[in-house]
Amino acid sequence: MFMPIRLALALTFILTTPWAVLAEVQDESALDIQVREIAKTLRCTVCQTENIWESGAPLAQQMRGVVRDRLKMGHSPEDIKEYFLSRYGDYIMMQPPAHGVNWLLWAGPFILLLGGGLLLYKEVIGWVRRTPTPSTTPPTPLDEQARQRLERELES
Amino acid sequence: MTKGSQLTLVLVLLGLFALFYQGLWGDPRHIPTVLIGTDAPMVEGPDVETGDLISLNQFKGKVILLNFWASWCYECKVEHESVLQLHKLFKDDPNFVMLGVNYQDKLPDAQQYLKEYGTTFAHMRDLHGQLAIDYGVYGVPETFVIDQQGKIRYKYVGPVTGHMYTKITQEIIAPLLKGKPISTPS
Repeated sequence: MFMPIRLALALTFILTTPWAVLAEVQDESALDIQVREIAKTLRCTVCQTENIWESGAPLAQQMRGVVRDRLKMGHSPEDIKEYFLSRYGDYIMMQPPAHGVNWLLWAGPFILLLGGGLLLYKEVIGWVRRTPTPSTTPPTPLDEQARQRLERELES
Repeated sequence: MTKGSQLTLVLVLLGLFALFYQGLWGDPRHIPTVLIGTDAPMVEGPDVETGDLISLNQFKGKVILLNFWASWCYECKVEHESVLQLHKLFKDDPNFVMLGVNYQDKLPDAQQYLKEYGTTFAHMRDLHGQLAIDYGVYGVPETFVIDQQGKIRYKYVGPVTGHMYTKITQEIIAPLLKGKPISTPS
């Protein structure tokens, strides 16, 4: 007796479920992931070292909107990054493109580390060389007077 | 390692360190724009006062001054009188047009601002920030000058007052209206 009711309920569910909406939600989350991935690579130009995904600034919010709109229009992530680069220059990229003077940003820390390390090494070596080494000859034995004084002090 | 090469290394390291340190405190608004010499985006938006659509396309072939502003922006109030003065100076030239772009603002606030401080030229609304992003805007006020060929020729971040007013009127707009090259691109 309950079987037809269950069947009817199942059919009602299948027929009335907005599959298109569910599919759209699925698409939407895929879009969200793409927006997030691109937004994380773009700098919020009015914040301090924040990308537009993490920033709550109105400009960052609008930039996320532009990323979303362009993805919806079928632009590739490279096209979108290129668009922002053409508007704001290299500063917009969280990782500045490695060309021209930007190489300094990439190589600078390593140059500082290697150069600083080399200077430190030279300084340590020089310091070690200047420090007198302790004598390896055995100490002269105590004379009788000193030995007796030491014994007295140890006993007291 | 000789003394000379050690000194060179120290200087290089100090130079790099100073460069990075300065970069930490630099204002990104003063980074030279990449837009100079590029085609001005032909943006459009509703008029703040009438709601009619304003498009930059309507003004092709003219020298255009675009001024981004907002009612909440203190520096915009500071420059307002100068901006009106600038419009007064060139408004009779048929090859000049001046437009305000209202940025990140509420319509009633923008309308109230224009009513209170007065205006003599049209202002379009940047509804979703797209216009500002198209022009690589960091904040307000920012001013752009577009030449008769539709190329961005000048950008200034900050209030157009004092020597900047003189520079923009005498060294940028006046030569462009005469079809002369400008000496200071940005």
